[in-house]
Amino acid sequence: MARSKAHYWFVGPALFLMVLILLLPIGIASLMSFTNYSLGNPGAEFVGLANYEKIFTRSAYAKMFGASFRYVFVVVPLSVGLGLGAALLINSIKRFGDVYKTIYFLPVMAALIAMATVWEFAFHPTIGIVNSTLERGCGSFLESWSWYAHGCKQGFPLWLTDRDYAIWTVAFIGVWQAFGFNMVLYLAGLTSVPRELYHAAEMDGAKSAWERFRLVTWPMLGPTTVFVVTISVIRSFQVFDTVEAFYPQGGGPSKSVYVMMFAIYEKAIQQNLMGIGAAITVVFLAFVMFLTLAQRWLVERRVHYT
Amino acid sequence: MASISLKAIEKSFGETSVLERIDLDIAPGEFLTLVGPSGCGKSTLLRILAGLEAPDSGDVLIDGERVNDVRPADRNLAMVFQSYALYPHLSVGQNMMTPLRLRDLSFTERLPLIGQFLARAKYRDLSSQVSDAAKVLKIDHLLARKPGQLSGGQRQRVALGRAMVRKPVGFLMDEPLSNLDAALRIHMRSELAELHRSLQTTFVYVTHDQAEALTMSDRMAVMMDGKILQLGTPDEIYNNPRDIRVAEFVGAPKINLLPGYLDADGHAACEDVVLTRVAKNCSGDITIGLRPEHLALCSVKDPEALQGRVVHKENLGADIYLHVILHQGGHRLVLRAAPIEGVPVSIGQNVAFKLQHGVAMVFDEAGKRVDLSHEAEKAPAKSGVKATVPEVA
Repeated sequence: MARSKAHYWFVGPALFLMVLILLLPIGIASLMSFTNYSLGNPGAEFVGLANYEKIFTRSAYAKMFGASFRYVFVVVPLSVGLGLGAALLINSIKRFGDVYKTIYFLPVMAALIAMATVWEFAFHPTIGIVNSTLERGCGSFLESWSWYAHGCKQGFPLWLTDRDYAIWTVAFIGVWQAFGFNMVLYLAGLTSVPRELYHAAEMDGAKSAWERFRLVTWPMLGPTTVFVVTISVIRSFQVFDTVEAFYPQGGGPSKSVYVMMFAIYEKAIQQNLMGIGAAITVVFLAFVMFLTLAQRWLVERRVHYT
Repeated sequence: MASISLKAIEKSFGETSVLERIDLDIAPGEFLTLVGPSGCGKSTLLRILAGLEAPDSGDVLIDGERVNDVRPADRNLAMVFQSYALYPHLSVGQNMMTPLRLRDLSFTERLPLIGQFLARAKYRDLSSQVSDAAKVLKIDHLLARKPGQLSGGQRQRVALGRAMVRKPVGFLMDEPLSNLDAALRIHMRSELAELHRSLQTTFVYVTHDQAEALTMSDRMAVMMDGKILQLGTPDEIYNNPRDIRVAEFVGAPKINLLPGYLDADGHAACEDVVLTRVAKNCSGDITIGLRPEHLALCSVKDPEALQGRVVHKENLGADIYLHVILHQGGHRLVLRAAPIEGVPVSIGQNVAFKLQHGVAMVFDEAGKRVDLSHEAEKAPAKSGVKATVPEVA
């Protein structure tokens, strides 16, 4: 059999592009993370692990990890849970399903940076709709809640500029923005659940909605859930636009919203410290890689049943 | 064991009516088959019986009690689905235990880990029930596997096991064999029939395969266009169909139908095929139905012989089916021959054959069966010759 070289031509272009635009930049970034390179400098010195040492010892970076993980651990469970809930509800109604789908999907379609400006107005301490609405509740039964009573006396929190609230407020906007996307993924997942399984469950004696959910819906949505969680984690680690819109300087009150993406931007672009920026990028990449692989290996093996 | 009755069941989906006043009584312990072409409403009827679908009007009774408002889970019927509908994330053992768990355990006892700890004795009892059922179906070695790791036949058994493990009052089966290969399907026919005999429970079985209906059932109901055309034992349905559609649907190869007319004396005739028996109270165009086994090869010299040319030959080993085009009229007939006569026949050859007496069926214009009687009962036949086919040509 004559050996043809055609196969090189088939894989060649894809391979070339992948190396050029994906692997090479990653390689350069990891090399750069061992130097003190700045844009415009003729050369750079090799500084070994000094950049990584900074990341894992300095308090500013501890805050960075804190902010990123807080954000991820709030946004992922809430946006996945709400997405699933909304999908189940929409799937269960016969009419107006499309209306709800559109409503919940609107935040996904809107540009987050524009929405951030709107939220900034909403959360404004004096003219914002959030606090003025809360003030109307003063004097009612809501005051029996001590937090509310305190707000009525001392004024409600400065949602975006109080360091105790800022990251949670940003996370709330993240949930608001992300769950519509998860809902659409879950709706797609729900259409692939065979109806006969529900009938079998009913015949087997699963009478309550919870029993049917436990026996059929949740297991059958396993592959969807793995995908939704992975993509939500990655997107949450990537959060940048809201932080940049709210706090263009310095990552929020006491750096409480100093998420990783913003740290990379601040170090590498604003301060032109390419070395440290590259090091944070590599750490970020390692997180995402680790999470993705963990999802694939640990969970996917258990949710694909054939 | 339970008796099941359907009274005046009607169902339509939007404009299309699927079931038109169905009445059906199923005796306790009976194996009843609903058979019909796809879209005839048989599956809908079964699902109404199960409670998965609500009838527009009419009543479903189980053991004389109206169960229209009883939900499927409480009717104590088990169903085997065409796709088996096994829970893919659960092992075979867990699949079979699911109906027991949902019925016999309380909510707390069903909790993972804690539940097993709280109700150890109950769990042991349930798993022994599961393994008993598994032994009956010879799947006890598969209990730890997931459905995805099983073959079609094994999945079929698991679905049966899940249905029988909780000892329901009746089994509903929706084309359970149609996903199996031909050999396994034939094997499972006898196994299902044996299972029915040993469980002595009411079986309602839906199929589009007339062979399954004929081989397994005590009684079968032939359905078409939302109506039960005929209900009876397989023997009655095959040998005495009351409607031309029943005659056509049941039997393989299909019954031969010849368009004909009734002559002045009431003899049904089509070209040189003329029947001896006469139809009373009927006139006009009729159809003569002849099953392949009603025709037999004979010598050319036989006075009743019909002549035709063989255009196709199907060799099934034990039987040989010859497709013959009649010289007179050009109608195509299928006739069954024993191997000893059929093997030497080659395509293109002319053969002679004749009808067996007293078995042909006649249907009127509306497709209803016309009862025939021997003229002999009224006037003695000439010199005792029951010449079925007087040679006209």
